[in-house]
Amino acid sequence: MGVILEVKNLTKKFGGLTAVNDFSFEIKRGEFIGLIGPNGAGKTTVFNLISGFEKPSSGRIRFNGIDITGMKPYKIVNLGIARTFQLVRSFKYLSLLDNITVSCLSKRGKEVSKKTGTDNYASSILASVGLIDKARIPPIILPHGDLRKLQIGKAIGTNPELLLLDEPFSGLSFEEQLGITDLIKKLHADGVTIFITGHVLRELMTLVPRVIAMHQGKFIADGPPVQVANNKIVLEAYLGRGAKIA
Amino acid sequence: MLNLKIVKEKVNDFPGYLKSWVKTFTGSLTIFCLLILFVMPFLSANQSFTHVFLRQFSLAMIFAIFAASWDLLTGISGQISFGHAIFFGISGYICAYLIKYQSFPIWLSIIISAVVAVIFGLAIGFPLLRLKGPYLALGTLAMSLILLKLFLMGSLSDWLFGSEGISALPGLAATPVIEYFILFIFMILTFVILIQISKSKFGTILKSIRDDEVGSDASGINTTKYKIYAFMLSSFFAGLAGGFYALYIGAVNPTGNFGTVLSFFAILMASLGGLATISGAALGAFFFIFLEYALIEIGVVEIGNLAIDFGLYKFAIFAVILIVIIRFAEHGILKPLLERLKDLWDLLLGR
Repeated sequence: MGVILEVKNLTKKFGGLTAVNDFSFEIKRGEFIGLIGPNGAGKTTVFNLISGFEKPSSGRIRFNGIDITGMKPYKIVNLGIARTFQLVRSFKYLSLLDNITVSCLSKRGKEVSKKTGTDNYASSILASVGLIDKARIPPIILPHGDLRKLQIGKAIGTNPELLLLDEPFSGLSFEEQLGITDLIKKLHADGVTIFITGHVLRELMTLVPRVIAMHQGKFIADGPPVQVANNKIVLEAYLGRGAKIA
Repeated sequence: MLNLKIVKEKVNDFPGYLKSWVKTFTGSLTIFCLLILFVMPFLSANQSFTHVFLRQFSLAMIFAIFAASWDLLTGISGQISFGHAIFFGISGYICAYLIKYQSFPIWLSIIISAVVAVIFGLAIGFPLLRLKGPYLALGTLAMSLILLKLFLMGSLSDWLFGSEGISALPGLAATPVIEYFILFIFMILTFVILIQISKSKFGTILKSIRDDEVGSDASGINTTKYKIYAFMLSSFFAGLAGGFYALYIGAVNPTGNFGTVLSFFAILMASLGGLATISGAALGAFFFIFLEYALIEIGVVEIGNLAIDFGLYKFAIFAVILIVIIRFAEHGILKPLLERLKDLWDLLLGR
């Protein structure tokens, strides 16, 4: 059970604004971890830095021992990290099946798909996220919950070891959230290390055994959800100074 | 390598695929149109027919190849090109130069000029790749204007044959009829290749870059590599068309081969047919070449005291048509047209 992701002194400045400030943590293979913080804490920026969509101002990121700091996103994907986006994205003029097929055609995806054929692999992924009956439909007419499932499907296509899920529950109804939760649990059971952000805390806190909290770009807590939820600094970050939970 | 796999897949499935395609409405309609094109030269032996009317078809086929190459880059891969005349013109000049001044055989010159167009595609692709959408469009437009000026009046223009260009080139073939059939075969080959590419997994990747480049990156695709492939493929076929055009006209000069109106034609023709359809480019090419021919033939019309020269106003008419397309048939007229025709056909057959 080695360390799969090591983030050291990660800092990202956008001009005068320090979005991520000397942030460090470790994730072990097979873990199921949440990243929480109020809006604007820097969670998505951390994800962008890990997945290569932003370059850090300073600090190092190691994945399976390999230094991936500042690497191009597609290369990081092909090493084994996949991510979803906070604002759902899709290939809007392609069918759902083709949306998944693209990931299956990545270098890493091809290693799997060459055994069964790309179409079979993509179809099985689409089925595993519960969207196989809409295979030929383009994403435009899908409800939000299905689009979130599609995003996860696209990430699965690259056969990731580490999956970064950026606010996968936002904008979802209660039933839709349950669907996504089941999907994520299944992926974790299959051996994928899951790193998930959110500020819909109820879902997240009952789902993960470990949570890292951040505020204004800085690390503030790391531990089991109950402990972190009662951490004074975390409470102040969410609720302001002097607040108390009754 | 990805391209070899496409060819293998195609070859293996081809006979069955062809059979089932011919049975579809679109398939049989296409075969029907191709048959008409095939017999067209035999309809009249009249000199005026073969030298004027038939040659309009040849011109349309050249532009069909050119517009289809543009559709691959812009419609399928989402890399907006407003300067496609670059590849068209460079290839035309190289072809003309090799034939006239180096006495290369015609076929070798055409191939070399298309390859040079690909090299240009690479040279232009690399710096422009970071640009997206309207910026890429402007970048390609700027490149084509630079080349135009370079050949027309820059300090190098004397060395590059100046405003008169290269003239007195031999034709593509001994007679207009042979020229017609050569272009016919190349048009079919081009469209088969480009349509198969657009339907392949490679085509799916290109479309994913068009629809969401960041998303494609996040799916593990090396988007830079595929954008370069798209530029290379597109510039090859644009170059092929450019070489044919030089020989069709029998001369090359800066405005005639690098002019922005050529880039405009590619956009117009592919858009009329429908972006990302590839086949739409053929429809658009034939439509506009024959519309232009008709307008010039109509020439000056006197209405009362006014004399309207339709030939002169053709660009205004084209621009109006483009606006109408964008307003009423944004995705081109090929698909709606095919649907109407199919409905009509079903009606006639009593279904």
